Amino acid sequence: MNVPEGRLVHSRVVAEPRDPLAAALDRSLTGYAVFEPQETLLLDAGGHGIVTFRDGVPEQAYYTGTDRGGPSALADLGMPGPYHVELVALDDAALDQIGDHAELAVPPGMPAERLAGDPALAASTRRAAPADRETETPADDDGPDRSDAGAVEAFLDDEAKIDAIKQQARAEAKRRAEEWGFD
Amino acid sequence: MVEAFAVASGKGGTGKTTSTLALGMALAEEYDVTVVDADTGMANMLFHAGLADVETTLHDVLAADASVEAATYERFGMTVVPCGTSLDDFRDADPTRLRAVVADLAAETDILLLDSAAALDSRSAVLPIVLADRVIVVLQPTIPALSDALKVQEYATSYGTDVAGLLFNKVHDDDAIDEIAAKTEQYFDGPTLATVPASEAAREARRAGRPLLAHAPSSPPATSFRRAATRIDVRDRGSEAVADRFRSAVIPDSP
Repeated sequence: MNVPEGRLVHSRVVAEPRDPLAAALDRSLTGYAVFEPQETLLLDAGGHGIVTFRDGVPEQAYYTGTDRGGPSALADLGMPGPYHVELVALDDAALDQIGDHAELAVPPGMPAERLAGDPALAASTRRAAPADRETETPADDDGPDRSDAGAVEAFLDDEAKIDAIKQQARAEAKRRAEEWGFD
Repeated sequence: MVEAFAVASGKGGTGKTTSTLALGMALAEEYDVTVVDADTGMANMLFHAGLADVETTLHDVLAADASVEAATYERFGMTVVPCGTSLDDFRDADPTRLRAVVADLAAETDILLLDSAAALDSRSAVLPIVLADRVIVVLQPTIPALSDALKVQEYATSYGTDVAGLLFNKVHDDDAIDEIAAKTEQYFDGPTLATVPASEAAREARRAGRPLLAHAPSSPPATSFRRAATRIDVRDRGSEAVADRFRSAVIPDSP
């Protein structure tokens, strides 16, 4: 996905991808977010994810590390943070230049479900979506989109990624034990 | 004292408090059970256990304003130790005192269930996992919940706490849970204790201020929680050994 340069709204390191998704919705961002996982060892090839927004609602997603788009890109990005995130604002015409790619499209609430695990944020995002956006099965307050099972299984089949998540957590636990004064 | 379990999940909204009280009630049929709201930053248990109006809570104990006995309540066949909701009380509460409180409670009960914080980002959030013998991981079949559950396990085992098992909660019919649970188990040191179906009953119980097993004892989720309790192979560690371990746990007295 080639994205035009725009106006940088913010650039920061966040512990979880929820914050930038909520910020994009709050400010009705038209533009895109670039997610760069800090722990690149978790990724097959390193890289970053891009999610585009129109009026705060996600439209398309792409992950450079695996060259996959749409829900698969979200699955590739779905891992513990921290992430370095840039939010970039574009005008409508500039966003239109990116084009409409069916293979990159994501339903409005899916990034909040899959990246942030936040059904409430997903529900708010769906409410903000225009009526002509492809409808998705609304999740209830408790759970993910019902179409998630395949993505979850794909995640569980990626032994290297899970091993990396565990290694990262162990390193973090050890580091914090020192910070917190645990023996 | 037989064993202390931390009921944990890296993420909020998995139904940890509902699970803690449900497992507590089920285990109370055989054991003397004490449940503690160890999520000192976000009190929840008092609303689930009909204790919203009580005066003395764990916060007062941690602030050294009350004895442990004053903050324990006999409810639903268990001993319940709720946390308060006042932010001032929370500021005054010294989380490192939790160790001493847990040691006192451990001496008086068979099974201690510590309802833990839905985060791993501070010492007080991680402390219940450090203090417990084993952790029961509550999760939903989603990618963020699974990756957080993996983190909980790695933190726990890094701090010498084993995994008793996994509790899949709020499971929907089309979640392909059997396949997902089987794949998940490969990465965890404990078995799947149960898969608990999503149900309005849990929400209704919370609204009624009663634990699920008291409010809807024959509902499908209640049945699953009881099954989970039977699958926990409770290990008798000997009461003195456990109490001693808490007293000499790895946490220093002052922050």
